[in-house]
Amino acid sequence: MHEAFYFGPGNQRIFANYHPAAGGGGQVLTVICPPLFSDYMRTQLALRELAISLAERGQHVLRFDYGGTGDSFGEIGEVAVSDWLEDIALAVREGREISGSSAVRLLGVRAGALLACRSIGASSDVQRLVLWDPVPDGASYLQELRRIQAALSKRNLYLSRAERREAMHEYAGYTLSERMLEDLRLVDASVYSSIPKGMLHVVSTSSAAGFPVQGVPQDVAPFVCNWDTPANEVIVPRPVLERLVACLTRS
Amino acid sequence: MSDPVLIEEPLQFGEGGRLFGILTLPSVPFQNPQELPVFVFFNAGFLHRVGPHRLYVHLARDLSRMGFSSLRVDLAGKGDSPSRPGLMNHQQSAAADYEEILRVLESRLVPGPLVLAGLCSGADDAIRLSPKDSRVVGLLLLDPVCSPDDGFGTRAFVLRYTNTARYVAWLKRRFEAPSPEFREKKEEVDPLSIRDAPTQEQLRTAFESIREREGRVLSVFTQYALGYYNQAGQLGRVLGVDGYQQFCTELFWPHAEHTYTLDLHRRRLMEVIKTWAGGFIRSRIGIKD
Repeated sequence: MHEAFYFGPGNQRIFANYHPAAGGGGQVLTVICPPLFSDYMRTQLALRELAISLAERGQHVLRFDYGGTGDSFGEIGEVAVSDWLEDIALAVREGREISGSSAVRLLGVRAGALLACRSIGASSDVQRLVLWDPVPDGASYLQELRRIQAALSKRNLYLSRAERREAMHEYAGYTLSERMLEDLRLVDASVYSSIPKGMLHVVSTSSAAGFPVQGVPQDVAPFVCNWDTPANEVIVPRPVLERLVACLTRS
Repeated sequence: MSDPVLIEEPLQFGEGGRLFGILTLPSVPFQNPQELPVFVFFNAGFLHRVGPHRLYVHLARDLSRMGFSSLRVDLAGKGDSPSRPGLMNHQQSAAADYEEILRVLESRLVPGPLVLAGLCSGADDAIRLSPKDSRVVGLLLLDPVCSPDDGFGTRAFVLRYTNTARYVAWLKRRFEAPSPEFREKKEEVDPLSIRDAPTQEQLRTAFESIREREGRVLSVFTQYALGYYNQAGQLGRVLGVDGYQQFCTELFWPHAEHTYTLDLHRRRLMEVIKTWAGGFIRSRIGIKD
C-alpha cells in the first residue's frame, strides 16, 4: 500500500510516494534520497521494494523525486544542488507531518548520499544516515558522468560529427546548468566527515570503493552494479536490499 | 522554473487501487477538448512510467501545453503497480490493465479518442491493444517490431561496411589498451528474441484499424532495430496496408540509441512527436496536413 502525492510550492512541486508503517504504528520515518540520472532509472524498482520491506517491518517510508527529475516539476537544466537540498528538507518535513514520526532516518543512494549528508544541517532531526554506494564527491562524480558521456559517444558508430560535438556538452546524456556544475564541484568529501561517525553506515557493492571517512561501519554486498558504465538495465540487487533493510531497521 | 498552470494528478485505480499512473491535464484551453485524443503512455520494458531518461514526463507536459491530456501509467508488475495475482501472462495482464485504464479515464475526462504510445514493449502493448478499442485513433510507436524485407540483407551489409566510424573504432581498439571500466559484452543479441513482440499479422491489423478510424501512426526506428529494420519505408513495404503513406509517418534514426540516451536525440524526438501530434489539432479545426 502506498499513497502518491505532490507537495511543495506551486511551480516546484515534488512528487512523493508515502508507504505507511504496516499495522498502523511506527515511530520511525525513513526518507529515501534517490540517485540521479541513469542511476535513478535503474534503481526505481529496487527502492520501491525496499520501501515496501521497511513498511512491512513497521517503518514509515517516503520516496520522492528531486525537482527536475522523475515525476517532480521542473527541468534538470534549471535546478541546482541548493534546490535539491531544499527538496530533501521539505521531504523530511512532509514525511514527519504525514507519518507523525519524530525519528527520521535517511537513505542516500549514490549522488543521493552526497546530497543527504549535505542536507543534514537543514534537517537536524535526522538520527541515522545509511548510504548505498555513495559517490566520493561532486567533482569526481561529474568526471564519472563525463566518462560515461565519452563512452556513449564512442559506442555509437552512427553519430555525425556535428552530433558528436554537441553530445560532448552533455553529462551522461543530460544537459546540466552552469549553476548545477558549479554547485556539484563544490560539494566535496567533507560533507561526509562533517557527519558524526556514529550516525553513518555505508553499504557498498564493491570492496574497492573506499569511503572517504575512516571508521564508518561498512558492509560489502556481493552484487555488481556497474555504476560507471552507460548501462540502462533496471537492477534489483537483493543482497544490497537485505543489508539496507538491516541497517535501517536495527534500533 | 516550470509553468504554473501544469496540472498533474497521481491516480491509484483499478481493483483495490493496484494500478498507478499520472494524469496530465491540458494547460491551454481548447474548444471542445474531448475532440482531442488523450495520450496513454505504456512502460518501456521494466522502466517506470517516467520513461527512459524522463521522456514520457517531458512529452506529457509538452503535449499538455498543446491542449492534450495524457496518462503515463505503470502496468501491473512495473513501476509502482504490483503484479496481478494469479498466472496471467504479460499480454493478458496488459489487456486487463487496459480495461482499468479506460474506466479511470472515463471517470476523470469526457470520453474521447485515444492515442496509445510506447517504446519497445510499450509499442508492442499499443499495437496489440489498439484493434480492440475503436476509440484508439493514433499510435506512437518507438522501435516497434518489423520484418526484414527483400533488400534488408544487402542494405545491412552496405550499412555495416561503409560506416567509416566502424573502422576508426576498430583501429582505436587495436592501438588502445582495453579499458576495464567500459568493457562491454560484445555478443550480438537479436533484440526481438527477448521481447514478447506482436506478430506481423497483429501489426497489420493494428495499422488497418487506425486507417479505418481515419487516425494516424508515427513509427520511429533507432539503431536498436538494425537487426530487423534498416531503411525508412521498410515497415510500410512489409505491411502492404492500403493508403499507408496517407496516415503513417515512418522515421529511421540509426544515430539514436534505443532509449534516446543523448539529450540531443530526446529533444529532436520531442519536436517530431509534437509536430505529429499537432496533426490531430489541425484536423479538428479543418486544416489539412
